[in-house]
Amino acid sequence: MRALALIAIPLLAACQPAAQPLTPEQSAKLTPKDPRLAQLYAGSCKACHTVGDSKAPLTGDRTQWDPRWARGEDALLTNSQVGFGGMPAGGQCFECSAEDLKALIRFMAGREP
Amino acid sequence: MTTRRKALLGGAGVLALGVGSCAGRRWWLDREPVAPPATDAKGHALWSNWSGLEHAWPAKRAAPADEAELATLLPSAATPIRPVGAGHSFTALVPTEGTLLSLDKLSGLVSHQGQTATVRAGTRLSALGPALAGIGQEMLGLPDINKQTLAGALATGTHGTGKGVTAIHGQVTAMRLVLADGTITECSREQRPELFHAARVGLGAFGVLSQVTLQNQPLTRVRKVVKLVDTDWVLGEWPALAARHRNAEFLVLPFTGKSALITHDTTDEPVRPRGPDNDSQTLMDLKRLRDLFEFTPDLRRRAAQMAMKDLPEDVAVDEGWKLLSNERPDRFKEMEYHLPVERQVEVLREVIRRIESQAKDVFFPIEARIIAADDAWLSPFYQRESGSIAIHAWYKERHDWMFELIEPLFREAGGRPHWGKLHSLGAAELGALYPMFGEVQAVRKSIDPAGRMVNPFLKKIFG
Repeated sequence: MRALALIAIPLLAACQPAAQPLTPEQSAKLTPKDPRLAQLYAGSCKACHTVGDSKAPLTGDRTQWDPRWARGEDALLTNSQVGFGGMPAGGQCFECSAEDLKALIRFMAGREP
Repeated sequence: MTTRRKALLGGAGVLALGVGSCAGRRWWLDREPVAPPATDAKGHALWSNWSGLEHAWPAKRAAPADEAELATLLPSAATPIRPVGAGHSFTALVPTEGTLLSLDKLSGLVSHQGQTATVRAGTRLSALGPALAGIGQEMLGLPDINKQTLAGALATGTHGTGKGVTAIHGQVTAMRLVLADGTITECSREQRPELFHAARVGLGAFGVLSQVTLQNQPLTRVRKVVKLVDTDWVLGEWPALAARHRNAEFLVLPFTGKSALITHDTTDEPVRPRGPDNDSQTLMDLKRLRDLFEFTPDLRRRAAQMAMKDLPEDVAVDEGWKLLSNERPDRFKEMEYHLPVERQVEVLREVIRRIESQAKDVFFPIEARIIAADDAWLSPFYQRESGSIAIHAWYKERHDWMFELIEPLFREAGGRPHWGKLHSLGAAELGALYPMFGEVQAVRKSIDPAGRMVNPFLKKIFG
């Protein structure tokens, strides 16, 4: 039974369509479902995460986000809180709580519930 | 034989050690700066500016939905109250243990008439361009980066470039402010003119800007050309080049003998959208050159000139707001002074000489622009056409050389610092540079007698 489950996981993964890269225009059309989060996103993250030249991973582009997501949600949250590479602390969202940042990361990583 | 072999092995060992040491040194220098804790002992979240040079853990964060909410919260807000803009200033204008105030929700166009537009002050420049284009208007000059809020850009005297082109605040005709006690007030040349003159470039210390009316011009199409030229040539031709083009600037690429000349001119040619941003790649190429040849400047120059030989010019045709400003994803630190325009070239020559002889680790370009005079009391361009010189350091690298090597040169030439960029001046030095400084201080004290919007950095500025 256990062996079957172990086989089933890779099989299920194989059934998932392979992630496709998005264009900046496709990325810019995405917005969080929650209105408050959508406002926070539009006021901060969107300015860089939908622009190809910004070097930030494009919102919704799983080909860019999956390797980052593999590092763990906590690591991504810490990066967003203290800054990383081109991104300053808080991702320039001046009213975001830690929970807001987590939700925004999930959305941008293509994992919004 | 054995001795020879030992010598060879020894030589190889020394070489390997040398290469290893260089690589190790570079790895050490390129490490990410140590970040401050994400929260302080009281659980307040970290704020830092874009460059990472300034940080604080504000007790409160406020983002009012509209002007009325802003007016309600200010009288009882924890102090110092500091509007954050987009956090792009390099100086400590924003750090506060009190209230960090975001105007992100006060964004968008309010109304327009003729060639004027009234805009909410929290609007980002990246959003302002398309909003104005939608009503057939544009701003003649725009800064290099498009992330700032309109309020932040005005508060720091942010500018573009062009002969006869003022900084953004030079096109402001009216403003609405919410003072620290919650009073909503309007000002213009006719209404409360002393507040208008003091607060147009107000460092976020004259209340909180809620709305701004801008005098714009009809939307035009421009031709942007970026080409590599000899630095000696552009320095000689600069006054004529600045006069010939609508917007002209150049970036000296230190240690290469070359500069990038960037011009924008009105055109009716068909649209040729800008291509992918190569500036970031060029910057990292300049860094690689520095990494390899930091201690051999002659080789560095020759390698750069070989790599840059026969590079074609880059041309784009589009609406100005799409071409004048840039993304700039690579964080950096910057000092910029605005000099009497007739001293710009002479001082720039000396800046290049000092960097190339005494700061061989610098690889960022040196930017030269020109800005028209205006009459805002704290404007670095107050009654003076100015030539600006900006120097930069990567966010991971030292910038002490700016203060030691270059700032004395800027000051000797009568330069006024950009309010949002690195400088060491306090009230005494600024008083000597700004003829209306006394009047500015009087206005500030009259509208905020308790200094509720003043943080330690502003205390140094205003005395």
